[in-house]
Amino acid sequence: MEEDYYSMSGGSEEEEDCYSSDREDDSIYGLTNEDFDAQSGAPSKAPYSKVITRESLLAAQTEHLRRVMDLLSVREHHARALLIHYRWDVDQLIAAYVERGKSCMFAEAGVTVVEHVDLDPPETSSTVMCNVCMDDVPAKDVTRMDCSHSFCNDCWTEHFIVKIKEGLSRRIKCMAHKCNGICDEDIIKKLVSVRHPDLAEKFDRFLLESYIEDNKMVKWCPSTPHCGNAIRVENDEFCEVECSCGLQFCFSCASEAHSPCSCLMWEMWAKKCSDESETVNWITVHTKPCPKCHKPVEKNGGCNLVGCICGQAFCWLCGGATGRNHTWSTIADHSCGRYKEDSEEKAEIAKRYLYRYMHYHNRYKAHTDSFKQESGLRETIKEKIANLEAKDSKLRDFSWVTNGLYRLFRSRQALSYSYPFAFYMFGDDLFKNEMTTEEREIKQNLFEDQQQQLESNVEKLSKFLEEPFDEYSVEQVMRNRMEVINLSVVTDNLCKKMYECIENDLLDPLQFTTHMIAPYQSKGIQKAVELTTGWDAQISSNNEFHEAADQFNGTGQASTSGTSDDSEQLSRKRPRKGNFATNLIDLNLPA
Amino acid sequence: MVDFARVQKELQECNRDFGVSGIKVIPKNEANLTQLLGTIPGPLGTPYEGGTFNIDINLPDGYPFEPPKMKFATKVWHPNISSQSGAICLDILKDQWSPALTLKTALLSVQALLSAPEPDDPQDAVVAQQYLREYQTYVGTARYWTEAFAKASSLNVEEKVQKLVEMGFPEALVRSALESVGGDENLALEKLCSG
Repeated sequence: MEEDYYSMSGGSEEEEDCYSSDREDDSIYGLTNEDFDAQSGAPSKAPYSKVITRESLLAAQTEHLRRVMDLLSVREHHARALLIHYRWDVDQLIAAYVERGKSCMFAEAGVTVVEHVDLDPPETSSTVMCNVCMDDVPAKDVTRMDCSHSFCNDCWTEHFIVKIKEGLSRRIKCMAHKCNGICDEDIIKKLVSVRHPDLAEKFDRFLLESYIEDNKMVKWCPSTPHCGNAIRVENDEFCEVECSCGLQFCFSCASEAHSPCSCLMWEMWAKKCSDESETVNWITVHTKPCPKCHKPVEKNGGCNLVGCICGQAFCWLCGGATGRNHTWSTIADHSCGRYKEDSEEKAEIAKRYLYRYMHYHNRYKAHTDSFKQESGLRETIKEKIANLEAKDSKLRDFSWVTNGLYRLFRSRQALSYSYPFAFYMFGDDLFKNEMTTEEREIKQNLFEDQQQQLESNVEKLSKFLEEPFDEYSVEQVMRNRMEVINLSVVTDNLCKKMYECIENDLLDPLQFTTHMIAPYQSKGIQKAVELTTGWDAQISSNNEFHEAADQFNGTGQASTSGTSDDSEQLSRKRPRKGNFATNLIDLNLPA
Repeated sequence: MVDFARVQKELQECNRDFGVSGIKVIPKNEANLTQLLGTIPGPLGTPYEGGTFNIDINLPDGYPFEPPKMKFATKVWHPNISSQSGAICLDILKDQWSPALTLKTALLSVQALLSAPEPDDPQDAVVAQQYLREYQTYVGTARYWTEAFAKASSLNVEEKVQKLVEMGFPEALVRSALESVGGDENLALEKLCSG
């Protein structure tokens, strides 16, 4: 498609120049516009997130189970118990294996591998006392778990049923007091299905869904009504994904995609917007309820005797009902002290806070609204293209229009969410102690410069896309086309820069908290693809294990335990991109 | 459904070595084995020494696969026991319950809790604070509560007999009823009324 840009290369020198400079830009930021599917923005590269449907769930889980079974040569139920304990993180499991050794790791996870099967089973004629029902039962009706505790089958069954009903069945522990052993799932299924086939099925489903419930890299799609899918991401849980049902969401907090806001910021913002707490705040600060009709009354000037529309007069200072006889300084037969300094100050602070919120909210809202209106642009644009095509001119390629439109949507989104981000980044709610006032001012200026640049370019792009270019002459169309192409590239770069600024200059230096944002996706929120269930990806596991073991032994630092909070926090931050320093001013340097 | 066969066996076994352990479990009502009354002696060398503590036991349907519900019927001053409701904070009565445990072992654990409070995981914050900050005051209060609430039955047993006889019950029956419920006047009355 890239060639399409040049397909009308009858154009002027100037245009060529312009292009080559664009190309340079592209190489700097590692960005190519070549594979836009302009309608949907779907990237053509292999995405890192996968859709797991009800059908592919088993395959996804089996993939992990196989690895562990091959790696440690254990049976499936042991592998599952281990994986559930390590939250389906095979790497962490391997690390524990290497560091703490097989027996310690198994004991922690409640897994006992019976090395050799009991060669002389108890005589079938004898009876055994079951320590739960306290009855003597025939030895053949007793089941011994891997942890070596035996109880009668009736008691085991009852225990399993109670646990499955409690919904705690992914790890059913042995009945013996203080035994950490996890019961063999095959025995559970066998025993429970005799009495309650439906519960056995439920148990099976719980085991299957453990892959989603107990796994931080897999989450249910938050669609309502639920589409039945789950999404698996690789490497980075701070990202935004699109399920095959079409819903786009933040993988980390399962609410709408909200970058460059962090999840916490977005949660606070959404709450703030929904409960209109500011309005309430304003009313409480600026009004007093009338002592007679209880309507909130605002004092718009004058002395401290306030008259409500219901006719009641009251003192503004204490809120008590009074008569109407008064002077500027006193109300007849009423004395409640003098006007208080601090209450005025409080009102002033609340007012400032409210205006600040309104500033950010208005802009957030304006861009969200524009985004909605521009969605209608898609249809108009199609019409315009159809009109131009009908004209039978030499213009044949219109990818610039659809690409421009897509870029407009993408940038508009980033822009609207950048306002709640700024509200919290430079406000007192979250980071009051993180920055000095001067620091904050410098950072705010830098950010706002970027934001404003982006804003003005987005508006320009919007303007050119809305022009009635289907009525233009060929030359005019070409001019419009150039503008749109230029602005598309510019806004994309500005978005990218804004995200980098947020990540590296604003969020990264935070001392006391860690805020992560989903990285900027030039091509839009990534669509998760259906998980393919082939086995070709199966690697020679022993090699893999030894490699891993070498690696862990070599660095000796891959510990999963005992990392201090500090290093944990650091490790949670994304490695900085190599080239960012060349693009951005380091705000940590003394000015 | 509660496994009554097991409950019967537990009661027999528990009351068989009452002489050794001092721990007793009796049904509040012979017809209903889910409502029980447990009795434990205050451990020696603690402020609870000399007291006899009654514990209400309620067996859930899933017993023994679900833990029994226990709370103190006798008022007691202890960081892990609510001074208001008698609720007990003990792991084996919650998530650490195992079907292989019995009422007797559970009561033994409660008794052990009396000797070894865990103020870091309190049920009653007021008692726990006192335990940590003014240990001597705690000991005094706990001892006073033991005197006042856990010994009353032995001192006033004649008074109670008198009271119940005045209500119209035969004296022999009153004595045996009082004895079987550990001296609790109200429980004895309940028992007498239910026949």
